[in-house]
This record gives sequence, structure tokens and C-alpha cells, in this order.
Amino acid sequence: MIKIEDLSVAFGGTEVVKHVSLELRDGEILGIVGESGSGKSVTALTLMGLVSEAAQITTGRVLFDDVVLREAGKPWDSALYRKYRGAEMSMVFQEPQTSLNPTQKAGKQVEEVLRLHTGLSGEEIRARVLETFRAVGLHEAERVYGSYPHQLSGGMRQRVMIAMAVILHPRLIVADEPTTALDVTIQNQIVELLRKINQEEKNAMLFITHDLHLARRLCHRVAVMKDGCVVEEGTAAQVFDHPGQTYTKRLVEAVPSRVKGRTGSGSGAGELSAAEDRKEMTDKVNEGGSTGTPILKVSNLSVYYQDGKDNQPLEQTEDGNGKKRSLWDRIFRKKGQCVVWDADFEVYAGESLGLVGESGCGKTSLSKAILGMNRHIEGEIIHSSTRPQMVFQDPYSSLNPTKTIGWLLQEPLRAAGALDKSLDMTKSDREAAAFDMLRRVGMDERYFHRRPRELSGGQRQRVSIAQALITNPGFLIADEPVSALDVTIQAQIMELFLKLQEEMRLACLFISHDINVVYRMCDRIMVMKEGHIIEMGKTEEVFSHPREDYTKLLLWG
Amino acid sequence: MGLFRKKRAGYKGCHFTGVAGFHAGREAAGMKKRNGKKWNKYLYAGIVMTGIAVVLGVLGFFWTPYSTTAMSAAEKFSGPSLRHPFGTDNFGRDIFSRVMQGLGTTMVISSLVVFCSGLAGILLGAVTGYFGGILDEAVMRITDALNGFPSILLTLVIISLLGTGRQNVIISMSLVFTPSFVRIVRGEFIRLRDADYIKRARMMEVGKFRILFVHILPNIFSVFWVSVMIGFNNAILAESGMSYLGIGVQPPDASLGNMLSDAQGYLQSAPWCALVPGLTIVWLVLGFSLFSEGIRRQGAFDSGQ
Repeated sequence: MIKIEDLSVAFGGTEVVKHVSLELRDGEILGIVGESGSGKSVTALTLMGLVSEAAQITTGRVLFDDVVLREAGKPWDSALYRKYRGAEMSMVFQEPQTSLNPTQKAGKQVEEVLRLHTGLSGEEIRARVLETFRAVGLHEAERVYGSYPHQLSGGMRQRVMIAMAVILHPRLIVADEPTTALDVTIQNQIVELLRKINQEEKNAMLFITHDLHLARRLCHRVAVMKDGCVVEEGTAAQVFDHPGQTYTKRLVEAVPSRVKGRTGSGSGAGELSAAEDRKEMTDKVNEGGSTGTPILKVSNLSVYYQDGKDNQPLEQTEDGNGKKRSLWDRIFRKKGQCVVWDADFEVYAGESLGLVGESGCGKTSLSKAILGMNRHIEGEIIHSSTRPQMVFQDPYSSLNPTKTIGWLLQEPLRAAGALDKSLDMTKSDREAAAFDMLRRVGMDERYFHRRPRELSGGQRQRVSIAQALITNPGFLIADEPVSALDVTIQAQIMELFLKLQEEMRLACLFISHDINVVYRMCDRIMVMKEGHIIEMGKTEEVFSHPREDYTKLLLWG
Repeated sequence: MGLFRKKRAGYKGCHFTGVAGFHAGREAAGMKKRNGKKWNKYLYAGIVMTGIAVVLGVLGFFWTPYSTTAMSAAEKFSGPSLRHPFGTDNFGRDIFSRVMQGLGTTMVISSLVVFCSGLAGILLGAVTGYFGGILDEAVMRITDALNGFPSILLTLVIISLLGTGRQNVIISMSLVFTPSFVRIVRGEFIRLRDADYIKRARMMEVGKFRILFVHILPNIFSVFWVSVMIGFNNAILAESGMSYLGIGVQPPDASLGNMLSDAQGYLQSAPWCALVPGLTIVWLVLGFSLFSEGIRRQGAFDSGQ
């Protein structure tokens, strides 16, 4: 039905899509997999006619039922596209937050599609929208109809987007990372919904994703893209089980997987032994751990929601003891909503504790409380480490863009020196330490004088880790440190974490929504739901015998 | 679903427009140099115009072709000539010399005003934006109150309290200009105080002062610099306006504003007396606007985000 023949797209002289040929039949789900910058989105957008004017099609053409939609050297035909887009093909975007107009009610926005493409009357349109809403699993269709996007959750918004895409029963749906911005459980629902739509409507679907697990679950056929080229194509099972190309192999291996187990890993034999060493070590730790003192001990901790205005600066308190709240706080601040209830856990040296849960379950509030950035707490947090550090999710906002890497790495040492004279170092000592740390996170010394903007996401995350560890804090909170990265980079950063953890006997609280990442990284797991820690135990045990239904849902979809 | 909705709504769509724009710009600059030249025209024109004004103004402090106060009954209202390139005024004083002196005065006053109010803006804006709380409320209400008056009225009041004179002109204008700087700096500090890298600086227990002025301040430079540029132009105009009203630089010292007000009685008989200082103000403001626009387009302020 859809044919992309030898398509190349260039932005101002640089080709981002190179000679891509794809074919898509009715009722088929074709997955395009690849890392960021591989040209998968541009291919889809070109197909939809949504690339910007600056994009030039240099070779090839796009056919829809043997009608040429776009061809190299032919100007963009908006009238032709108008006929197809909406009625015959539609698109679901990644960000449900920005894909809907915030000033219009959800129902109205979906209605507009019908009003533009059909001659139905107002009543009929409304009935049809409500019907579609129910079909995509929005049970309170009436309420959703009259809601503004901000009143809907992320999953509901994505359902509205899907409703908008399917309401005209198009023959092609292009889904560009439709589940990336959603929680795991919601993600599963959306994937199931797409599958159901595909089965019922027999329409073709182009599913773009960087998540190989998803592609494997949903797609009939898969095309792997790299640097604008399709490197491999075939049925999902074929591509993932017997990858023909080295790149695909690397990609598949980079994905942390429960099936492969914790010792199996990406980059070969040397790493394998490292993982074994690590296992031994953690066993030792666990033995000693029962008697040794924990690096972090949290008991009966409840965290309250901070005032939205957050007027006072977030400060570090020595022990994060909430009972020392000042008189001022007591009089002028309402206690607010409790977001974490009676958290009770310990982290030992050299151990990783995984914290899993959906967004809004209190993961971040808990970590903030531990770091002393939220003082609206009750209970006790005792840590024996000085200055616990944190690595954030977004590598692009966690480094100060105006400073050089060297400066950034030295800053923790300077700060420590300013607080405690005994830790004061000379400039050359600091520089030596920074160079050393840079090497330990696997980066070249020449990056010392670069600024963050010259670095890739993975490199930035390395620098973030280096910055967090340069003072040897002993305890680190990693808040989704690999979620924003591509699969292969993800694997590298996880290796780095494991390596450093071993070298520095680092205790780590590892927050993630990606079950597979947690499985790879953590010795113990803690599952959180709506502010309660509902399950905690050794990783293997939790994975093989989850006690709670919710854990099962989270682990196995 | 129509094209419109998707273009408007599409996150990816926006993203790619950005990338394409960047590439298009680079390509055009590389291939034809036409676009590149067009960008620099602002900068070159600005540099030339501002440069001439600055040279004349600075020179005016040390040397002028004629004394700025020397009167000559014989040469009253003589038109532009080789002897007096811009003619003479109602007292026979050389207008060119007076413009040179006026330029210097105006620029020095404007620079000092921008410097003082910018500094105050950084200090107040940083503290209020970062810490918030009661202090923030208090300072913001004061700036609201200052903004509530027409600025010229406010300067009039302050001048009438302090008396005239250069120093007082600078003080009063700085007071009037401070609120806008405070607002801009405060907004940026609020935006950045919860940035991940600032959170991390806090976790490292970097001192508060250091967070404010070493970690955050360089990041607001691009935004702040633009407001300084605009502020400087506004200050030139405000100073001229005050001199025109007679509350700025006092005669016999020359300033562009009081030259204008002196000349308004002779608009028909000796138009150059008004035209020259008027056009000089235009020259100065326009040149500086072009200069700042040129720099902005070159992207020299981008702090690399």
C-alpha cells in the first residue's frame, strides 16, 4: 500500500535519510527502530508531508496506492496531501503534552477533524467522537469530551490523540514514539490499544521507536535504521533473534534484558568477568551488610508536598532531620499533602538499591528528602556519607553551560575545601584529581577545556557522574540516569556505573521506571506505589516471585 | 485531520523546523555569503556610527575646534560653512564644538546610569529571584510602585528633591531605570534556580554567594546584555529629554537636549540649530541599536545553551 522507494532527504546539503526503501501492506505493523539521529522520524515525517520546507528530497519517491505523493525534483503538492492526510493517513506524536492545543477542549479538537473531512451535522459529530473515545478506552467519554488537555493525564491525552488519528478510519497510522513519554503500565495499555486497533481496522501502522522490546512485541516487521540508512529489515523475530548486521547485534545486545540475565551483557568477555566479580563482591557485601552499619538508614519517613511556590531556597540540612523545622515554617506553612508514607529502608556500602514506580508515586520526593532538599518531612534519615550526590535524568540540563568541563569537575572540590579547611587542595592537586576522574569515566583528557555544549548526551552524563563522584561521597542517588539516552549509550553508561561502583564501593539508590535497567543494575529492589513502599527484596527474588499484584503488573506488563 | 492542526500541534514538526532553519542559514552563509553579509551590515553600520560618536564625544572632553562657551555677536546664526561645519547658534557659539561636548556628556551620563542601575538590578534581582520570600515581596512591590509613575514625572520629583546637577541626574535616572533590570534579572534567576545544575551545586554545598554570582550569573548574560543595550538607548533619550526640560545638564554646559530647547525659538530662521543636535541624537541611538542588533544576530551573546 505504502511504498517508499530510494528516498533521500537532505537538510541544507546534509543528507539525513539516505536511499531508504520501505514497503507497508494493509493490516501490517512495520516498526522502524534506531537511535536518535538515525533518520527514522524524518522518514515518517516525509511520508506524512510534515517535514519543514528546508528539507529537500534528493532522490526517490513516496507512493500511496501507486499514487506518487512526493518525488525528487517535484514541488510539494499540498492539495494532494490534503486529500490523503487525515482521511487516509494520520499520525500520533510522542509528546501528548504538546500535541494537543491547551486552550481547547479535547472533544472540540477531535471534532475539528470530522468537521474538516466529513459533512456530518453537529450532533452526529459529537456522537461519533464519543463513540471513538469509548473505543480507545476512554470510559468517561463525556467528561473527557469537555475537558481541557491539562485536566487529563498523559495516558488519556495519548488516547485522545489516538482517537483523533483513528476517527476517520485511515488506512495508515504513523505512530512516532507514542509511548516514550508515558509510564510503563500506561505504555502497555497504549501498545495493546494500538494492536487492537490494528487488528480490528486492518489498517497499516508505521511504528517508530527506539525501544526494541516494544518493537518486538507489537510489530510484524521491523526495519533497523542507522545514520539515515536502513541497515536491516525483516520480520520482528528474524531481526531480533538472528540479527544479520553487526549494528543490529550491538543494538539488541545493548538492551538490558531479564531473559539474558544479569551476567550476560553487551560488550564481550572482559565485561562478563567484571560482572561476575561484581556478583562476588555484592555477595560479600550482603554477608557483611547484615552486620555492618548502613550508609543510609531511613526510618518511618513521611514526606510532605512542598508549597507550590517554594519560596525559600532548598537547602541542605546536615542530617535532614525534619523535626528541626523552624518556628517560621510551622506557623506559615501548611503541612500539605503527604506524598511518601512511612518509608523504611537501608542502603549498605557497595550496594545498589533500585527504586521502581510510576511517575507521581513519590520517587523524586523521597530522593529529595534524602538529599535534604525537602525539609517537610517526619521521621529519620541518617547517612554516614558526607554530601550525598545525585545524577539527574537529563544530561542537557545537569551541567552548567557556561563552564568548562575541567571547571565543573573541580567545583565540588573547591566547595568541599571552602567548607572544611582540612579538605582544601591546591589548584594543581584539584586539576590532577579532575583529570584522573575524567579518565575514570572513560573520557579523553582533551575534553578538560571543552564546554558542555560540545559534548554528546552520553558524554555529558559521564561528566555528571564524574562530578558527583569526585569527592568520593560514598552514596549516590541516580534519578533515571540512562532514560534519556540511546540504547547503546545506555549500556555504556550502565557499565560505567557498575565499574565505578565496584572501584569506589559506592552505595547507590537507583531510581528508574525501566524494569530492565533496574534488573541489570541493582542488587535489591524497592517498589513504590502511591507513596508507599509496597515491596522490597533481592532483585532475583522480586523478579521471580513478586508478592504484590502491582509488582507483577509493573514487571511483566 | 488537517495539515494545520498537525503543524501547530506537532512537537516533532517544530523541532525539525528549528534544525532546518539552522541548516538553511549555514548553507546560505556558506554558499552565497549574501545572508552572512546582511547580518554583518547591522554590525558594521552600528560600529561605524557608534564609533564616530564615541570618538567625537571622547575628543570633546579634551579638545574642541572652538570653545563651547565663546560667544561671538558677529557670527550669530551663521549657517553651515567651512569655518563652522554645523553653523553657529543664537550666541554665535560653534554648534559642532557644542555637539562634541554634548555627545560626551550624554554618553557618560547614560553609561553611568546603565552601569549603576544594571549593577543594582543584578544584586537585587539575584537575591530576590533566588531566595524569594519576604524580601522578594518587598522589593517587587517597591519596583511596582516605581513603575506606577510615569518615569519623567518620577525623575522630576527626584530632581526637585535633590536639586539639579550631573550627579543628581545620574542618581535619579538610575533609580528610574533599576526596576526593569531587577525584573529581568529576577526572572532569569527564578528560571535557573531550579535548574538541575544549580540543584547539583547546592548538593555540593557550594556557598550561596558563589551559586548566585559564579554559577547562575554567567548564564543570564545573554538576556541581561540585551536589556543593557536597550537600557543604554533609553538612557540617551531620557537624558536628552531631561536636558530639554531644563532639569538635566545646566547651561552653559552643552548637552544635546538643552541645545534643542534653545533652538526651538529659531526653527524657521536657523533650522540647523535644532536639526544638528536632533539628528545627532538619532545618529547615536540608531547607531547603537544597529550595533546591538548586529551583535545579537552574530550570536555573540549566546551562552551556549
